[in-house]
Amino acid sequence: MNPLFGSSAIARRVVTAAAWVCYVFLLVPSLIVVPISFGNAGQIEFPPREFSLALYRQFFTDPAWWGSMVQSLFVAVTTTALALLLAVPAAYALARSNLPGRGLLRGLFMMPMLVPVIVLGLGLYLQFSDWGLLDTTLGVVLAHVMLTTPYIMISVMSGLQHSDVALETVASIMGASRRTIFFRVVLPQLGPSIAVGALFAFLMSLDEVVVAYFLTGTDSMTLPVKMYSSIRWELTPVLAAVSTLLTVLSLLIALGIIALQRKTEAQS
Amino acid sequence: MTFLSASAAPASANPVSVVPTVAPAASAMVELRAVTKRYGQFEALHRIDLSIAKGEFVTLLGPSGSGKTTLLNLIAGMIMPSSGQIVIDGRDATGLPTNQRGLGMVFQNYALMPHMTVFENIAFPLQVRGLARSEIKRKVTDVLDLIQLGHVAGRRPRELSGGQQQRVSLARCIVYNPALILMDEPLGALDKKLREQMQLEIKRLHAELGITMLYVTHDQDEALTMSDRIVLMNGGRIEQEGPPDTLYFKPETVFSAEFIGSSNLIPGEVEAVENGTVTLRTALGRFPVPAPDRPVRAGEPAVLLVRPENMVLTDRPGPTGVTGRIEDSILLGGVVRHFLRCADGTTVIVQELNQPGRAGARRDDTVRAAWSVEHGRLLPPPPAR
Repeated sequence: MNPLFGSSAIARRVVTAAAWVCYVFLLVPSLIVVPISFGNAGQIEFPPREFSLALYRQFFTDPAWWGSMVQSLFVAVTTTALALLLAVPAAYALARSNLPGRGLLRGLFMMPMLVPVIVLGLGLYLQFSDWGLLDTTLGVVLAHVMLTTPYIMISVMSGLQHSDVALETVASIMGASRRTIFFRVVLPQLGPSIAVGALFAFLMSLDEVVVAYFLTGTDSMTLPVKMYSSIRWELTPVLAAVSTLLTVLSLLIALGIIALQRKTEAQS
Repeated sequence: MTFLSASAAPASANPVSVVPTVAPAASAMVELRAVTKRYGQFEALHRIDLSIAKGEFVTLLGPSGSGKTTLLNLIAGMIMPSSGQIVIDGRDATGLPTNQRGLGMVFQNYALMPHMTVFENIAFPLQVRGLARSEIKRKVTDVLDLIQLGHVAGRRPRELSGGQQQRVSLARCIVYNPALILMDEPLGALDKKLREQMQLEIKRLHAELGITMLYVTHDQDEALTMSDRIVLMNGGRIEQEGPPDTLYFKPETVFSAEFIGSSNLIPGEVEAVENGTVTLRTALGRFPVPAPDRPVRAGEPAVLLVRPENMVLTDRPGPTGVTGRIEDSILLGGVVRHFLRCADGTTVIVQELNQPGRAGARRDDTVRAAWSVEHGRLLPPPPAR
């Protein structure tokens, strides 16, 4: 018997330690920007020699930076709203109707998840240049709607699987129209699934860089694209502040998703 | 048990009861005309003709797969018949969508909206009908009083017990006075005692409000307890229909006899028919049986039915009786059931009233089980399958 794994208690400790090493390996590169972001405005250094909020001040006073932040938030919110309008009814229709060609439709909706993003970016670039949608907010939003719709649909369809079809049947027997059933019986039960899907969509749109890099220009640049070009052309320490802000925002949203998923599980 | 008390408000003072509790009108509330439902090659229902009168309580009884739930779903409009016609309240409803049929339904799993309170659940069908807010409040309050659940109006369904949830689900139907309430094994999820309470509760509401009800169950006791009429289904056809006592005392087929109550079935061959009496030759002997309504000829196969409670253990000789050894006796409270093994291996069940101090027959005794001639019933042989 291997002495190292002789007792299950020791084995468990070893596995736990290994897991922590992995966590640290994954997390440190993201977290190292946090102390840097509180450093001096002059250069990127770790550990920072003095503590200041200068980099944050710089971020919020430079219109090129906070402008792209506002643009990103606008794109993310609009994307989420449009994707919800598309994905929720589509998920309901796919889950509950016996529409002919249902499998094909489902496959089409899920396609953007499977196609490599770089291919999608190139395809959209060529198509949107024909339609005059390059370097427009509408263009990025449309592309992001396409990317995020399948995620909302998956979340909503799993929510629909947990909700009892008999509730819709009984509502119909009681005289409710399809519209009433959708809004008063189905939607209220899907609340948490829709919220989870929406948060995912928001987060994806907020830090999506590949497709946005293809489609945006100076007029419509989102924050991740701005960060990417800044790394390439100027490498300013403001990047650390931006990264920290984005990390915190993502963390909050992820926690929100977890909380919502717990709530749904508790209900079912 | 308080909700079963007779002190509930009289029907006349009850604003929910829109249908007066008079004798059911002669007109039919629901009529099925030659309704057939096919799934590919499989025929789930074969030319069903069924009429349910206003205010009647009809039970669809049958084993699983007999077509009773299919029939219910056809009436509800969840599936469409392959052929035939469905008339609801004098209107052809064959192609009518579910939400325009004016029905109510109670499911086994209650199907209450989890995101609504009890009050909101019951108010839902009224809101769908566009009633004024004040009227909704009045009606819901009244119906909550009727089922004596006013104190839980603000709770969510999952905070209630199974029995309470089923009463809410019933109230949600009663409140809008549908033409017909369909019930799909509504008490299947409840334990025995609660089930019996709910059976009486449903019967009381039916009697007070004069609602037409179509009740689906596979539980023969439930069907016998509750129904005005039982429709016994078998293999997509109506095997027999009639009031509970007719189905119990005058089954037409071996299937009916076996499905409702317990029965001793002794197969044989008709030897002679004379003066309203058939002589049946069986492996256990020759027995006289009252001639059935249908014509019977000598030489044809037939089955003799004797209910266990119509058999007695006796020493006196008579024309009808079998001899056997008691293999087992089981006590069922008020009655005791003996299982007799006859010479040819047939088991005969004898049921006697259980009286204290009675010196009963004991295991391994060889006894004679007899019945009066008029308690025997001659049935056609079961169809070969």
